[in-house]
Amino acid sequence: MDILSLFVIVPVLTLLALVLSKGLKQARIISMIGSFIQLGMAINLLFAYFKERAVNKSIMLFTQDTVWFKNFNVHYAIGVDGISVALLLLTSIVVLAGVFISWKTDDLPKEFFISLLVLATGVYGFFISIDLFTMFVFYEIAVIPMYLLIGIWGSGPKEYSAMKLTLMLMGASAVLLVGVLGIYFNSNADGGALTFNILEIAKVHIPFEAQKLFFPLTFIGFAVLGALFPFHTWSPDGHASAPTAVSMLHAGVLMKLGGYGVFRIAMFLLPLGAIEWSWFFIILSATGVIYGAFGALKQTDLKYINAYSSVSHLGMVLFALLMLNKTAWNGAILQSLSHGFMTALFFALIGMIYGRTHTRDITKLGGLLKVMPFISVIYVIAGLASLGLPGFSGFIAEMNIFVGAFQHEEMFYRVATVISVSAIVVTAVYILRVLGIMLMGEVKNEEFLDLPKVTWFEVTGIMLLLIPMMGMGVAPLWLSDMTMESVQPFIQGVLNHL
Amino acid sequence: MNITYILFIPFIPLAVFLLLGIFNQQIKPAVSGYIGVLGLSISAALSYYAAYQYFFVSGKVDGVYQTFVEKTVWMNFTDTLHIDMGILIDPISVMMLIVVTTVSLMVHIYSRGYMKGDDGYTKFFAFLALFSFSMLGLVLATNLFQIYIFWELVGVSSYLLIGYYYTKTSAVAAAKKAFIVTRFADLGFLIGILIVGYYAGTFDFQTLNAVNPEGEGLLLNWGASSFMGLSVITWALLLIFMGGAGKSAMFPLHIWLPDAMEGPTPVSALIHAATMVVAGVYLVARLFPMYYFVEDGFALNIVAYVGAFSSLFAAIIAVTQTDIKRVLAFSTMSQIGYMMLALGVSGYDGHEGVGYMASMFHLFTHAMFKALLFLGAGSVIHAVHSNYLKDMGGLRKYMPITNITFLIAALAIAGVPPFAGFWSKDEILVAAFEKNQLLYFVGLFVALLTAFYMFRLYFGIFWGKETKYEHTPHESPMSMAFPLLFLAFMSVVAGFIPFSEFVTADKVAFEAHLNLPLAAAAVGTGLTGIILAWVFYKKENDLAERFANGFGMFYKWTYHKFYFDEIYMFVTKKIIFDRVSAPIAKFDKKYVDGTMEGIGNKTVIISEKIKGLQSGRLQDYAIFFVSGVVVVALVFIYLWT
Amino acid sequence: MNLNSFIAMRQEIFLLTILLLLIVGEIFIHKDKKGSIIHLALFLFGIHTIIGFFAIEESSLFGGMFRTNTLIHFFKNVLNVGVLIVLLQSADWIQEKMIPLNKGTEFFMLLFSSLLGMYFMISAGDFLMFYIGLELSTLPVAALVAWETSKRISSEAGVKFILSAGLASGVSLFGISLLYAATGSIYFADIIGVLTTTNLTILGFVLFFAGLGFKISLVPFHFWTADVYEGAPIGVASYLSVISKGAAAFILMILLFTVLKPLIHVWENIVYVIALATMFIGNLFALRQQNMKRFLAFSSIAQAGFILLGLITGTQLGTATVVYFIMVYIFTNLAAFGVVQAISSQTGKENRDDYNGLYRTNPNLSLVMMLALFSLAGIPPVAGFFGKFFLFAAAASKGYYLLVFLAVVNVTISLYYYLLVVRAMFIRKSENPIPFFKSKIYMRLGLIITVLGILVLGLYSPLYDYIFELSNVFNK
Repeated sequence: MDILSLFVIVPVLTLLALVLSKGLKQARIISMIGSFIQLGMAINLLFAYFKERAVNKSIMLFTQDTVWFKNFNVHYAIGVDGISVALLLLTSIVVLAGVFISWKTDDLPKEFFISLLVLATGVYGFFISIDLFTMFVFYEIAVIPMYLLIGIWGSGPKEYSAMKLTLMLMGASAVLLVGVLGIYFNSNADGGALTFNILEIAKVHIPFEAQKLFFPLTFIGFAVLGALFPFHTWSPDGHASAPTAVSMLHAGVLMKLGGYGVFRIAMFLLPLGAIEWSWFFIILSATGVIYGAFGALKQTDLKYINAYSSVSHLGMVLFALLMLNKTAWNGAILQSLSHGFMTALFFALIGMIYGRTHTRDITKLGGLLKVMPFISVIYVIAGLASLGLPGFSGFIAEMNIFVGAFQHEEMFYRVATVISVSAIVVTAVYILRVLGIMLMGEVKNEEFLDLPKVTWFEVTGIMLLLIPMMGMGVAPLWLSDMTMESVQPFIQGVLNHL
Repeated sequence: MNITYILFIPFIPLAVFLLLGIFNQQIKPAVSGYIGVLGLSISAALSYYAAYQYFFVSGKVDGVYQTFVEKTVWMNFTDTLHIDMGILIDPISVMMLIVVTTVSLMVHIYSRGYMKGDDGYTKFFAFLALFSFSMLGLVLATNLFQIYIFWELVGVSSYLLIGYYYTKTSAVAAAKKAFIVTRFADLGFLIGILIVGYYAGTFDFQTLNAVNPEGEGLLLNWGASSFMGLSVITWALLLIFMGGAGKSAMFPLHIWLPDAMEGPTPVSALIHAATMVVAGVYLVARLFPMYYFVEDGFALNIVAYVGAFSSLFAAIIAVTQTDIKRVLAFSTMSQIGYMMLALGVSGYDGHEGVGYMASMFHLFTHAMFKALLFLGAGSVIHAVHSNYLKDMGGLRKYMPITNITFLIAALAIAGVPPFAGFWSKDEILVAAFEKNQLLYFVGLFVALLTAFYMFRLYFGIFWGKETKYEHTPHESPMSMAFPLLFLAFMSVVAGFIPFSEFVTADKVAFEAHLNLPLAAAAVGTGLTGIILAWVFYKKENDLAERFANGFGMFYKWTYHKFYFDEIYMFVTKKIIFDRVSAPIAKFDKKYVDGTMEGIGNKTVIISEKIKGLQSGRLQDYAIFFVSGVVVVALVFIYLWT
Repeated sequence: MNLNSFIAMRQEIFLLTILLLLIVGEIFIHKDKKGSIIHLALFLFGIHTIIGFFAIEESSLFGGMFRTNTLIHFFKNVLNVGVLIVLLQSADWIQEKMIPLNKGTEFFMLLFSSLLGMYFMISAGDFLMFYIGLELSTLPVAALVAWETSKRISSEAGVKFILSAGLASGVSLFGISLLYAATGSIYFADIIGVLTTTNLTILGFVLFFAGLGFKISLVPFHFWTADVYEGAPIGVASYLSVISKGAAAFILMILLFTVLKPLIHVWENIVYVIALATMFIGNLFALRQQNMKRFLAFSSIAQAGFILLGLITGTQLGTATVVYFIMVYIFTNLAAFGVVQAISSQTGKENRDDYNGLYRTNPNLSLVMMLALFSLAGIPPVAGFFGKFFLFAAAASKGYYLLVFLAVVNVTISLYYYLLVVRAMFIRKSENPIPFFKSKIYMRLGLIITVLGILVLGLYSPLYDYIFELSNVFNK
């Protein structure tokens, strides 16, 4: 079995094992083992990738290609470059952390972990596919479990949030489907056969009119999952209602599919359309960056604050992608990774705080540094990371984006860049606001004075997310070079079309 | 010269930080204090050795101080643009090493006494170490991005230290304010960096500052492209200066500094008097050739005027404040304004560059006596448990050492020979006088005010009326007294260092000579100020009130720092929060989300509306059936084709 | 024409034989164990289904009135499997409701004769045979719909069905006669040559189309659907919703792609409009349905709308995708109907709210239902997704991107109401949920087959490729 397909097979096997399992204890052990294996595979893949990359210069490595639907020329085609490797690593880490964080799921535990792993399977599959059709299939597989995860195990207005989230995302993917078909039926523009294979299509000169028509569909189709303003409203409610682990996976991994799809498909396959439309989507994404930050400023529910900050941070990703240059694109990738770790960590911490104090309203909390020092200190670190402090992943990502975006000659893009840069101040404001109100000051509520200590699985979960975040921030070179190297052929492919 | 060992100077504090940070539960407070002091003393020793090596052994090659760099790529942006990490050794960085390690060491020692019994003792030393690391990294930075990185790090350490008493709301607020204001300034800094990066194609200081008559290099084609009448590089420099102004609390970004006094006093001494707040000055000095040559020093003039105004503005406010630490804070702001002013009026070659030299000189001396003032104030506060002048008075007989050292510092800052302040200040005034008379007189007036408020403070604390102390104040322990004595010693001798031998704009030593008339004028004004203060405050009398009332409105404004805090508060709370953020939150729920919901609800409503079609009555069905057929048929027979 | 050329009619002959055997059985089986007729019927039909899979070569009989080829043969097999599943799922119902009334055999006889009608309909080589087949397939169903004579609603449904059916086939017949008038022949083979676009032919086509539109329940010929499904026994409703709909869609496709090809520039527009109307109306009505049978009725209308996306193309791709979709749809919809029937026959509950908390009492049934709904909503990796995707691809291949876009909008709407059911079963809690029960062996067998179909048909790609191969018979 090849090294990549394992990423689909192992989760599926874990699922089957779970189906046979009985009760919480077995379920969580099985899923933990399964996710551990996945993490191991991801790390192994990383080294395998370095070894292979040294000798093999083709865009995608470890490629496998099996015909699926012959006369649609649908293939199960997989392959990875530095970007997908990094994202696979992110995924496996977040999934494992998620399993640890949901160690104490009492209601229908088996089903919970099954849905969680279905989601994971979809994400893995999405990241390894290089065939539009396969990619699309995995994309929807990844999205749909959210409905049950939020609906069954969620809190608050969970039915409403789950329905809203599912409909908006599936609606988006429906729009995306039209885009995909459009790309597919134009993939013979140079007289070749119709194909879904991304690398093949990239060589084709899709007519400008078609690109103009299908770029917005494809872009929006993916960007909704990337919380593009004004299609982000599923995310605050969704996160607020979702159980902790689900928020982690969703914000940490699932939302990355959006940016990744835009990068791999919308930008790479429809560059002319991208240039035609960039001004419009630049405005949207830049708005999103600022808007999200200001939106977070006044919220009092921790999860809402985080959701809005995600809108802001991921707006940055889309913004960078639209800049169509190497550094910015690399920044977008790094931002995806960094945001993945960061926001997952945030949600994990929020979950722990909520689990102990039973409130997410910062005005009801206070002085947590005294009563739950460990969680609070980590929260401070996460906060500082999220406001782009050097030494954490966020900083290098944002700097890549800013420097890259600023390379764009046109005034309009410069201005847009400066506007988005100014978000770092607003970010600082809302982060420090939370730290100030929630962690510092006097303890507001005596009941908080004796709260349960952090447990080993919580600490493990936190560390899993914290360490890579700092690793990225302190020694970015190896990672950023790896991704940069993989961005190169894509930007080249785009430039060839201009 | 081999500079690798200099890496240890920043990394030892880092190690200390990690040690204390990770094991702060396990390590006993007493021990952690010693660890901190030990670490810093090693760093200090290394810096002194480095300074000796650089200035006296191998730094100078045929009369010019060389720049030594050791760096490695940290992250690549493009093929040309990349962030390096490394150390850059030249006169100012070496000088700053001395300043930072010395003051930091003194503060460490002092804190062992001052913070005794505080339950966050270990945490405190961890933070101090973190700050020392960041500051040293900043000083040694080899390129704009590296300096920006450590710039942010000192910012956050300052945030942590100001908010050290995190249960105190005022402290939390102050920390937040400090961070956000400087962050705002850093926004300018960052954009400036981006511009430089794009137009100059490098972040590297050496490349940026290279002055070469052959005609390539940035400095000669700065005019390449311009924006709103100024060259983009000038814009970049102004934006970068904005960052500097933020850290150095220049007007109008000064508002965070007074509040920052909420932090423990040693912190104020270290960060908000001696080291971090002069980072802005250091930044301008670091890029001095650019500031000087690009567009004929347009940006540099701005620096001069901002500096001059800030120093005057702050001095005026300082006169009326009653919280001794705030007085010192404003005095700091005023003195930094002085340094900026000096840089602003400086030239480049030889004696032209006296301003530059003076600025660095003053930075050095000021670090010593201002740290001393703060530590002195600290030991006073330690004794009387209050920050306010009204709770003090006649302390000289209770705390002799503090009294003497404080007096020395006060004399130094007032510019009385032979104390350190006199020499550096004199050079500044000389530079200003040669370049710009107006700024000179501003400087002179500020000197007067400085002497006045400083001795108002001195007399207010150590003389004046006796306050009833519930338990009699006592001299601080040795751990606190020693730093006072050491810094006092420095404040006396530092002035005799021939700075123009070491630190100059063009790195070539020149002969600095005392300009007697100007010196006399300076000393005169200084003494006048002291005498005035003596008249007002030596013995308790109501002169001061009468005088203040004489000013009336103006006095009130000054007392309220010209209401700047209120203005900022209004902007943030009333405008940003209530007028921008809250509406956005509403807008998001009501309209953006509303639209999405609307689509859904509309669908349901439509399906409600049309449910009549399915009447259940067969004849209706038949009618629909037939009419459907007919319509389709007619349409396609007559309309379509 | 010799005897062995009757092999072309193998399926029909077998089915007929089964019918007769059942009559014999009815006579000889002792009346205390009439129940065994069910086993007999299932057994015989099972054999028939299996035998059906033996290949059959292309040929025609009676001077072209009756013809068959690999695709038609394949489709008959699909119908067989569908009917088999329907029978399996209805077995218990027959056992409990019909046998006591001594009406078991009739049920099978009527059902089989209707199926026989469909065989002839899709094998028709001329309009006469087509029409006979149509009638034969429709009339017995009317009786089946009104089966539960004790229920008022059932008889009402029967009346509605027979009357609308009469109207429809009348209109259709009129259309046929007009086409005859225009072309002078009822043989498909001859018509192809002479058919041209005139007002007469257009009118004829529209009328003819309406007739089939009734069976596929396209808007505006769909009104009977909901009421009839609601009134009819669930087995019959499911039969209507998949088998007769599927067969009608299939023959419509054949006619459009072959005989009526000359009119393509007319009917592609008609299909376009009808497709939109059908999808939107179907979905908008399904949105509000509480009763599961009505709910599935409207959902099946919407699905018919999707089928038209494949019909509009007139290409081999179109043929393949339509046949494939119908096949998938048969399994999917039967799974949904099966669950509804199982629950209804156990508890008599047919409303969505009754399903609240179903998962916690009957997990397996809920999972089957969820699979079916996801397949209907077109969510991977279940078969429905591939069915829809290919249909859309077919439409897109002819450049109907707007149509596809509106279709995906409909998919999203439909997702909403399918999720409502999922919500009821999995998320909602209920004070008195449907208690746990074990359904009978036949029912379980039926459900298992459908589930296998839902899971396998999509992922196992050779099947589609095979269909694609077959589909070229009409595009020579």
